[in-house]
Amino acid sequence: MLSGCDGRHNWMAGAGEESAQVKTLFIVLMIGAGVIWSAVVGAAIYAHKRGAHPNLEREARQFVIWGGAVLPTVLVGALLVWGLIILRDITADDGDLTVRVDGERWWWRVIYETPEGDVITANEIRLPIGQRALFRLTADDVIHSFWVPALGGKMDMIPGRETTLTLTPQTLGSWGGLCAEFCGGAHALMRFDAIVMEPEAFDTWLAEQAEPAKLSADNPGFEVFQAEGCGACHTIRGTDAQGPVGPDLTHLASRDKLGAGMWDMTPTNMARWITDTHEMKPDIDMPPYPHLNGARLDTLVDFLMRLE
Amino acid sequence: MPKTPHYDAPSVMDQGSIWILVAAPSIWAAHFLVSYWVAAVYCAKSTTGALGGLMEPRWIAVWLGLACIAVIAWLGVIAVRRYGGVFVIFEEITESSERGRDKFIGHVALLLCVLSVVAIVFTIIPGLVFNEC
Repeated sequence: MLSGCDGRHNWMAGAGEESAQVKTLFIVLMIGAGVIWSAVVGAAIYAHKRGAHPNLEREARQFVIWGGAVLPTVLVGALLVWGLIILRDITADDGDLTVRVDGERWWWRVIYETPEGDVITANEIRLPIGQRALFRLTADDVIHSFWVPALGGKMDMIPGRETTLTLTPQTLGSWGGLCAEFCGGAHALMRFDAIVMEPEAFDTWLAEQAEPAKLSADNPGFEVFQAEGCGACHTIRGTDAQGPVGPDLTHLASRDKLGAGMWDMTPTNMARWITDTHEMKPDIDMPPYPHLNGARLDTLVDFLMRLE
Repeated sequence: MPKTPHYDAPSVMDQGSIWILVAAPSIWAAHFLVSYWVAAVYCAKSTTGALGGLMEPRWIAVWLGLACIAVIAWLGVIAVRRYGGVFVIFEEITESSERGRDKFIGHVALLLCVLSVVAIVFTIIPGLVFNEC
């Protein structure tokens, strides 16, 4: 049960300002709950051992009123205000950069807003350390929830509405992100990496992501890609493939993971993804291509692995 | 035909009537509902979408809340004066009489008034903390 508390999904890692706030709130709550529990149990044991003292009934009733009604009301009120202030801070509508994320079944469409225009990618989010990123979240058809436990709080993604969340990473590294709202068959396989980088490296990465794909017009792999109809659903900027349905593949091989944060980006996994898609991720819209094999499959995989 | 005695036909908020018990929680529920409705309609019609301001509806919830608290305070006064209600009952009410029943109703009504005031304050707080829908 505690495996979720370890490593890159550890919400107590405090790798972001927002998760550190939540951690502090949790620790204060736990200590407070421990103190109150000890006081209540201690009072019960004391009362049991001392026995009845009818002449102390007035004092006992006053104790119940102050300790059982007034104090809890004040404490709950203070915790309510504190929790609401944290929620307000982590959903504030400002940031050093803005990222729109659209929850799909079962992957993430990621759009960085830049002065030069939108930069579209998928299933991987990179963030500069120390900068506050504002996420504008929505969903395609069912409710999802966007959560990078190590960096901050989670937020529902609701079709037809926009919700906001801020993340301010404080620790370099690759942190795990996931969907935290059951959204159908492949919900548990809807993940992503949140990679925290130095600001200079992030700027370089973002500039590279904004570029179209570098490939020649007669690339044999691209010919297979188009002949199999992949371009009807996927976009490779700089080519005729402009399908808006699935993830943008312009810089597919620059991502660490395949299948929305699930498998390492290797030729073997890529080939299996194409031929045994529903074995790797049940229920998704992408059809498997079991008829692809041999040199034709190798050519397509080689092409995709060069989309850096 | 003899005139009906007073204690057989109590007025709405008087000795013998139990309406005072439900009055304060009903006011709390009404305040919650109206606050929710106002904020939801205001945010839905807001030109800035989900990030529209909560400045207008928050003050509606606050002023309406203060009015509700004033009414509940008046109910509390009635519970004390007409029903003889007290916050803490130190002796058991064993007497099967109008006075015993009134005192018990007054006591419960008074506690429900306090609970309702706390609940209304808790309803107002999120509106004061958040600036956006």
